Amino acid sequence: MIHSLFLINCSGDIFLEKHWKSVVSQSVCDYFFEAQEKAADIENVPPVISTPHHYLISIYRDKLFFVSVIQTEVPPLFVIEFLHRVADTFQDYFGECSEAAIKDNVVIVYELLEEMLDNGFPLATESNILKELIKPPTILRSVVNSITGSSNVGDTLPTGQLSNIPWRRAGVKYTNNEAYFDVIEEIDAIIDKSGSTVFAEIQGVIDACIKLSGMPDLSLSFMNPRLLDDVSFHPCIRFKRWESERVLSFIPPDGNFRLISYRVSSQNLVAIPVYVKHSISFKESSSCGRFDITIGPKQNMGKTIEGITVTVHMPKVLLNMNLTPTQGTYTFDPVTKVLTWDVGKITPQKLPSLKGLVNLQSGAPKPEENPSLNIQFKIQQLAISGLKVNRLDMYGEKYKPFKGVKYVTKAGKFQVRT
Amino acid sequence: MPYLGSEDVVKELKKAMCNPHIQADRLRYRNVIQRVIRHMTQGLDMSGVFMEMVKASATIDIVQKKLVYLYMCTYAPLKPDLALLAINTLCKDCSDPNPMVRGLALRSMCSLRMPGVQEYIQQPILNGLRDKASYVRRVAVLGCAKMHNLHEDSEVDGTLVNELYSLLRDQDPIVVVNCLRSLEEILKHEGGVVINKPIAHHLLNRMSKLDQWGQGEVLNFLLRYQPRSEEELFDILNLLDGFLKSSSAGVVMGATKLFLALAKNFPHVQKDVLVRVKGPLLAACSSESRELCFAALCHVRQILHSLPGHFSRHYRKFFCCYSEPHYIKLQKVEVLCELVNDENVQQVLEELRGYCTDVSADFAQAAIFAIGGIARTYTEQCVQILTELLGLRQEHVTTAVVQTFRDLVWLCPQCAEAVCQALPGCAENIQDSEGKQALIWLLGVHGERIPNAPYVLEDFVENVKSETFPAVKMELLTALLRLFLSRPAECQDVLGRLVYYCIEEEKDMAVRDRGLFYYRLLLTGIDEVKQILCSPKSDPSLGLLEDQAEKPVNSWASDFNTLVPVYGKVRWATISNLQRAERRGPELPAPASFATSEPLIPEENKEQIQELSDAGALTLVPNHQITAEYFEKTWLRLKVAHQQVLPWQGAVHPDTLQVALQVVNIQTIAMSRAGARPWKAYLSAQDDSDCLFLAELLLGPDPSEMQVSVKQQEARTEALSSFISVLETVLGTIGDITS
Repeated sequence: MIHSLFLINCSGDIFLEKHWKSVVSQSVCDYFFEAQEKAADIENVPPVISTPHHYLISIYRDKLFFVSVIQTEVPPLFVIEFLHRVADTFQDYFGECSEAAIKDNVVIVYELLEEMLDNGFPLATESNILKELIKPPTILRSVVNSITGSSNVGDTLPTGQLSNIPWRRAGVKYTNNEAYFDVIEEIDAIIDKSGSTVFAEIQGVIDACIKLSGMPDLSLSFMNPRLLDDVSFHPCIRFKRWESERVLSFIPPDGNFRLISYRVSSQNLVAIPVYVKHSISFKESSSCGRFDITIGPKQNMGKTIEGITVTVHMPKVLLNMNLTPTQGTYTFDPVTKVLTWDVGKITPQKLPSLKGLVNLQSGAPKPEENPSLNIQFKIQQLAISGLKVNRLDMYGEKYKPFKGVKYVTKAGKFQVRT
Repeated sequence: MPYLGSEDVVKELKKAMCNPHIQADRLRYRNVIQRVIRHMTQGLDMSGVFMEMVKASATIDIVQKKLVYLYMCTYAPLKPDLALLAINTLCKDCSDPNPMVRGLALRSMCSLRMPGVQEYIQQPILNGLRDKASYVRRVAVLGCAKMHNLHEDSEVDGTLVNELYSLLRDQDPIVVVNCLRSLEEILKHEGGVVINKPIAHHLLNRMSKLDQWGQGEVLNFLLRYQPRSEEELFDILNLLDGFLKSSSAGVVMGATKLFLALAKNFPHVQKDVLVRVKGPLLAACSSESRELCFAALCHVRQILHSLPGHFSRHYRKFFCCYSEPHYIKLQKVEVLCELVNDENVQQVLEELRGYCTDVSADFAQAAIFAIGGIARTYTEQCVQILTELLGLRQEHVTTAVVQTFRDLVWLCPQCAEAVCQALPGCAENIQDSEGKQALIWLLGVHGERIPNAPYVLEDFVENVKSETFPAVKMELLTALLRLFLSRPAECQDVLGRLVYYCIEEEKDMAVRDRGLFYYRLLLTGIDEVKQILCSPKSDPSLGLLEDQAEKPVNSWASDFNTLVPVYGKVRWATISNLQRAERRGPELPAPASFATSEPLIPEENKEQIQELSDAGALTLVPNHQITAEYFEKTWLRLKVAHQQVLPWQGAVHPDTLQVALQVVNIQTIAMSRAGARPWKAYLSAQDDSDCLFLAELLLGPDPSEMQVSVKQQEARTEALSSFISVLETVLGTIGDITS
């Protein structure tokens, strides 16, 4: 299925290759580089490229390209999902999925790739099973290893396969029994010039961290389950029970996993927590312009909005910007023409604003379109859709677990047109 | 990869590995090996230290073993003689008490990829298949496929295949999936693994135990199974229902495809499924992973071909974000263009209008062409937007708009008036060949309505010497001649100059030839010219061809969840043809002589037949089965649609004929014994639109004439004639062989 994998960094160096069948020469990547050149911006390389003998399916993650070489026809989604899983695993093991981390841990990377695929077919991809096969590096362990000469390879086989439930290993034991759930919601929205919503949608997930002994059988119920439009489930969830009673009933895997992901897409249900007042104008005659934006809270249910950053791709004819923020700091990169304003928290008494003058290339025609503002923010202890967990019950085990639910709302692709 | 200094590195590492002090210190030894691996992964040639690495494999340290095995798998094909030395250690490890070591050794041994290794790995693999640790069984099962790949031409080992089929019942889910994968590779030439009823039901019951990759692949394998009864079919659909809501987009798509394929005779079920996956698909379209987004959007477009209104309510989801990569934006624009309806057209057009001024010229042009596409239905609004865009006086915008106009006046002649009013003044903003051609064509064809048309063309003629594109010059010649017919006074002089230039000074042959042609044409008289050049100015009937009727779901169901939707059907056909040709190139078998063991139809003919059937737009479905009773009933009911006598020589070999017909998907229902007089055969076939063909072959008292009668369930002459030509080709080929 997947013949080979090449890891390529932004400057076009192939810094790692792995072949599961016969060796495919690096020259196959030339087709990829060709496409990259054609695309102008490296982010725009199409994910599927055909070459005379192979197909190249690639993903772009954290400034790295994972390019897989495929010889027979395969479902493209399958390969894309798998490559993301590989990147996720690296992230999980090394804390980041960067060139430096991969180069530092090249041996572990190889061990992982060897276990994840055999003959080109996915083998072990569940993080908790992999971690039993190959222990992740920690500072302490690498110190210990270098003294004792022991290795970070498990000596015993993962027991996961022996239990009747494939996603949970048998004989789990904890002294503190805990079950935590994170409800994370991201708002994708496009707001038009006048401030009205063109499109808005909430993408939510519930991530769980379960450390419970034995074989607990959990059921999680919501105050308002009808909110959820499209839900996709972890394989452990009993689908029939959800269909009939709207209760999530499951025997959880051990450790961290994504329980469900859902969408709330009817627009009147999506609250937009911030507004932006903007006036951006360019003058043709004097080759300069004015830039003025103010951010304020709106429908934020009384919570603080924090971690705000505004990113603006300014038009090409812009030379530089002279701005004063009332709060936070801003940077403008004159090469990429990207303005980044790190705002921080909104205090309703004094709304943060950024204003000043911009210089354009003299003689150039004034830009046709005003730039779009991309906004990032975070609201703790709030699920913007209003989703609330009602209760969590446990059956099958005697002890009393410690339970907790955390809510957080973030901006996804949140864009304001000006 | 040759790399300066790599020799020094190899030398240094070699020295280090031979150093007994380092060998004694486990940690230092492992570090050196790690350095070898690191260099290897960066593409340096490290085959020089093979001998030393083989020595390092005899260790109890698992990490070191792993590294050395990794090294050996990479370089064994280069140093087969040295690699044989390592096999001993590997064989020993295959019976290690630790299952992890056993699995590791077996996997590495199977991946060595060098000649002669087969005899060593056979026994360990067989042992591995019966190992009590599932980890080892997983490796061993895939090892079977690797072993087979080493000698692709060797006979398929029947006992091994049986063993693998029995392992499909293994309790470990990954072993089960690996068995399928392995069998698929081993039995590649026989059409892959066979999914019969017990296997299919077994797999269906195990589905929920598999991981997402396994589920995806099993769903793909299940496509081969055809349920016997309606009841069974709906049972299967019920079992699979949950997978439409899986958290993995790949599984959702796989399940959708299986649903569509199984329910191919139940359009309402298919529609229902597409409604159910709407949510997951839309979720994938706004997924974090842009690649996933892209693939999902391609599939959305595919669905829209059959159900145009399917996503119309969600049109806002397909609005582009500034930060998205181009390939997603382009897909979204295409989707928007296809889901437009009366309710959302205003909003969609407004949105597209915004894209037309995007910084990226490509994206802006794509948006303009999309507006042009919508203009076929909502002409007035779109032409207005396009005309406004001309006011921007930007080069890439103007050329795209003019090209759109050209296509539009051809399809919707009613907008010609508006277009003609918008055109003046465009000329100065167009620089590229395509745009110029479009503008010149418009001026030529609709010149009588544009007051300054001759003068614009005159400007072009004046600059013709510096014009770089021959296509523009040719277009100019034609346009000017056309305009000359409607406005002779203004054009005569310019036309004369241009024709003179083309004949006397132009270097490009095609342009010169066209110049000469028009010159001679003019000599024959104006009426001749009119007859040739005044073709219809537009053909609205083509518009109907353009927005094709909704395609049935079945026409693309088999392409769902493959690479076809990513490329589009037409482009895919060229790509895969290219690849096939390339791949076949060197290893094309020599033309077969007709020895008994050879296929009965030479390879070339087989293709010819298939191509033929493709060309006639007739696709006969493989594995179509009807019973003899049903055949008899239908045969008696229908009238003979076609009767024909073909020349025939010699006796008939029923088996030969049957196999040959099978190749082109014609089934033999009944046949006389060889040598019987009169000799008869009854055949049946079905094409992809479920039209049944029944045929009778009759070899009467005169053995040099074969009488063919064909009956057809629905009267469709095209399909009938292609079917007959397929049949003729087969009979002709067989006749040639037997004579």
